[in-house]
Amino acid sequence: MEEYYLICEDSLEGIFTGIYDAYLMKKPHNRIHICLGEDDNYRLFAVYQTHPPDEKKAASVARTVIRQFGEETYLAICRALASEKPDKAEAVYKTVAAGLALKDKRDLMGNLSNPYIHRVFELARFTANEAHYHVEFLRFKELENGILYAVIGPKNNVLTFIVPHFADRLPLENFVIHDEIRNIFAMHPAKGEWYLVCGDENRLQAEHAFSEGEKKYSELFTSFFHTIAIKERSNYGLQRNMLPIRYRRYMTEFQEK
Amino acid sequence: MEGELIVQTTENKSLMEKLGILSDAAKYDVSCSSSGVGRRGDGTGIGNTLAAGICHSFGADGRCISLLKILFTNECIYDCKYCINRKSNDVPRATFTPDEICELTIQFYRRNYIEGLFLSSGIVYSPTYTMELIYEAVHKLRTLYRFQGYIHVKAIPGADPQLIQRLGLLADRMSVNLELPTAEGLKKLAPNKHRKNILSPMRQIQQGITQNKNELVVYRHAPSFVPAGQSTQMIVGATPESDYQVMMVAENLYKKFDLKRVYYSAFVSVNEDKDLPALPGGPPLLREHRLYQADWLLRFYGFEAQELLSESRPNFNILLDPKADWALRHLEVFPVEINRADYHTILRVPGIGVKSAQRIIRARRSGNLTFDDLKKIGVTLKRALYFITCNGKMMYPTKLEEDYITRNLIDRKEKLPFDKDGMTYRQLSLFDDNSELYWKQAVSG
Ligand code: SF4
Repeated sequence: MEEYYLICEDSLEGIFTGIYDAYLMKKPHNRIHICLGEDDNYRLFAVYQTHPPDEKKAASVARTVIRQFGEETYLAICRALASEKPDKAEAVYKTVAAGLALKDKRDLMGNLSNPYIHRVFELARFTANEAHYHVEFLRFKELENGILYAVIGPKNNVLTFIVPHFADRLPLENFVIHDEIRNIFAMHPAKGEWYLVCGDENRLQAEHAFSEGEKKYSELFTSFFHTIAIKERSNYGLQRNMLPIRYRRYMTEFQEK
Repeated sequence: MEGELIVQTTENKSLMEKLGILSDAAKYDVSCSSSGVGRRGDGTGIGNTLAAGICHSFGADGRCISLLKILFTNECIYDCKYCINRKSNDVPRATFTPDEICELTIQFYRRNYIEGLFLSSGIVYSPTYTMELIYEAVHKLRTLYRFQGYIHVKAIPGADPQLIQRLGLLADRMSVNLELPTAEGLKKLAPNKHRKNILSPMRQIQQGITQNKNELVVYRHAPSFVPAGQSTQMIVGATPESDYQVMMVAENLYKKFDLKRVYYSAFVSVNEDKDLPALPGGPPLLREHRLYQADWLLRFYGFEAQELLSESRPNFNILLDPKADWALRHLEVFPVEINRADYHTILRVPGIGVKSAQRIIRARRSGNLTFDDLKKIGVTLKRALYFITCNGKMMYPTKLEEDYITRNLIDRKEKLPFDKDGMTYRQLSLFDDNSELYWKQAVSG
């Protein structure tokens, strides 16, 4: 029996397109797979097809997911698709397929004994988790021109999940969050709507020095950070557990002055 | 300069020096939680709040740093024996201006260092005068700077109730420290404080909150009063109360004063005083940890203090957490069948937390659960296996016998707050807001 491998772009749009096309094939789901690139070990009797992203198809899948499974599940799927793990595409596809066959479609994510659903649940949790870490640990620095500038280096693509939080809390600020791994920038103009910019804008930071206030307040906070700990309770293990080392290079209070 | 009194004045101190002194003086206050109220920004200022609260950093002691925790002043006229700022201590003194407090809060907040402000204070001149200073700072922050982030303020016992009422309309959380579990303890160690003066603002805030809730039903836009609720803290280990006494007090505070949180603070010995215990082993952290565990059992697991401890068993087991300890003394109710038992029964099984119990109830609707499913759901089977059956069967044939199970449950690497992968302060704050517990479960496995 032939197996079909749909090769899709690594994006929400790309993978949703793959799911749409998988349905068009009208073959049993267990013989169709979605992947993000060609497999290393080329399989015998496997048909590989490349499916470029298609906005209309993707939108139609998104609508179906929201209508059938509800907003919460849709969000879980979006989070899973922001994951760094390549098996996310297959897991989401099989989850959607399993879901559409269910009687109680609203409770899709409750079916944790299905390995694909469990995987989506897990991937979504990793992303949510990492997004939350960024909401906690991201640090802005003020540039000379008053813009607040933050750099992050997330494993999963969390940027779009965290910007709304900051846009709501800092509506009057011009701020930029730069994902230096993917080289994408979230730009928020004061009193305006935020948007994403890809690629080559890193001149932005390089061209501007930090403001006067930046030195003053980063020193004040660093000093506060050290004083507020109770030395009789010192516990670096616990600190490490709560605040993973890999975030610290982005955090003001851990940076060498 | 031997024999000469150096009078420390506050005028010529820099902002850096003041922040050093007044954060150092505030650090023994336990709460740094920014939870309890979700509020979006209105677009005209700065800030919002998340119901779950946010930690922004973790200090060298592993405690969450969420708020700019400072005293307004440490030039205190009281002489509480356990406090570093007591009048009779010779320590550097400082006082902020309201503008300095606003500046620090806003500049720290913009940079995502903090969720907001936790403002407490020593007593200058009088409780009312002190509260007025606090009010002025908070008022400025809310109105002039349009700060919509989190504000926690201390209500000073003995201050004009009018002032507490007005401050409650600006703050998200208020707290009055109980300081010590009993009135006798308070009398001995805090001669200027009186139990009655502590309980009356607590009552006032409670009534304010209740009344406000009713108003909000009628007028949706009525200003909210202490929307994130009221908390308190007590020091444990400075006075001789038992765990049983402490838990009874806590339970009372939850039931009779509707407190959102009671914090327990292991006594840190900062002053030498004949009325204070010497603590050669350091602060009683294990005891504090057991109290927090028991506190969750009261708040989220449907336990009563009297089920956990009694006059004749007044202290927690050092080796076992209070939930396992309870289960072992009630083997007659176990094992429980996971596919049939109700939520509250499942919640009492060691190794099953609130989230897992909720997931069990949800997942078993679509079919009988197996031990494998429980593992995926997040149940700690290593602990739960003695107390449950799935479809009538236990995981392994095992004896339902106290000594045997106890030996297996005692975890030599127990998760103490000072242990590397332990029950942590983050989890403490997460329990407060259990929607978040989940996020961290993924990392901690
Ligand atoms: S009132 Fe008591 S506890 Fe508070 S600062 Fe003054 S001496 Fe310390």
